[in-house]
Amino acid sequence: MSKPARYVKHVKVSEREGAGEWKAERLSSLVLIPLALWGLWSAWALSGAGYDGALGWFRSPINATLLAITLLISVWHMNMGLKVIVDDYIHKPSSRTALLGLIGALCLLLAAAGVFFIVRLALGSAPLPAGLGA
Amino acid sequence: MSSSPLPGDASNDPTTDQSGRFVRQPNGRVRPLSPHLQIWRFHITMWGSILNRFAAGALSVGTVFIGAWLAAAAFGPDAYAWFASIMGSPLGLLIWFGITLAAAYHLTAGIRHLVWDAGSGLTPKAANSLTVVSLVAAGVIAVGFWIVLFATGKVVL
Repeated sequence: MSKPARYVKHVKVSEREGAGEWKAERLSSLVLIPLALWGLWSAWALSGAGYDGALGWFRSPINATLLAITLLISVWHMNMGLKVIVDDYIHKPSSRTALLGLIGALCLLLAAAGVFFIVRLALGSAPLPAGLGA
Repeated sequence: MSSSPLPGDASNDPTTDQSGRFVRQPNGRVRPLSPHLQIWRFHITMWGSILNRFAAGALSVGTVFIGAWLAAAAFGPDAYAWFASIMGSPLGLLIWFGITLAAAYHLTAGIRHLVWDAGSGLTPKAANSLTVVSLVAAGVIAVGFWIVLFATGKVVL
């Protein structure tokens, strides 16, 4: 904030990370449009297919890869969106930092666990908890 | 940032205001507070915005259900059958339908926002039309999808 304001074509350049966040939100939105339509198609394929149908679906590398990409970009987009909501409604800096940290950790957990399950299903690994020492 | 008060209306001076209509922003500047919800006249873009944020929140919960489905598949046939029996119950199907509707509306409302970000459809009339289209399209997608699911027997109550 101490730096002098910069302008490009009479529009003020963001002082901190605002412009980068704006671009990341739009980029993830654009990529999620086709992925959401593919997700609807996949939901159609998986509905009522049961366990064997789901296993067969995951054995296709295209399905597994697209699902992992969709999950990661969705969680990234979700993390940014939840940050906007927290910024809007939580004004106490310590509460905001704590809440954003908690949300970030949950997003990371969801992404890591999801990719772990997808990779196992794609490789046709034995059902868990096999391989986890149980 | 001081603005001169209107003649004869000293309450518009932020430095002496007692009504709480001004707020100190994080950057230290004093700004008038936006009128709150009960002041606003109903307009469709307002509902479009509220419902889009609501859908975003619902989808955040929805990702947990997707994560649970992945876990059930990875834990084998017994876990999958248990998960499918819970999520195939009327309450479970209602949750899946809610996720479908939230995803459909977040998609159409998101496209609407990208149109606006590109600088189009920003007059009140065009903005209202875009909002109506995004709401109706989301309903058609979600309800249509579930009608087909039931009609083809992929999902049964």
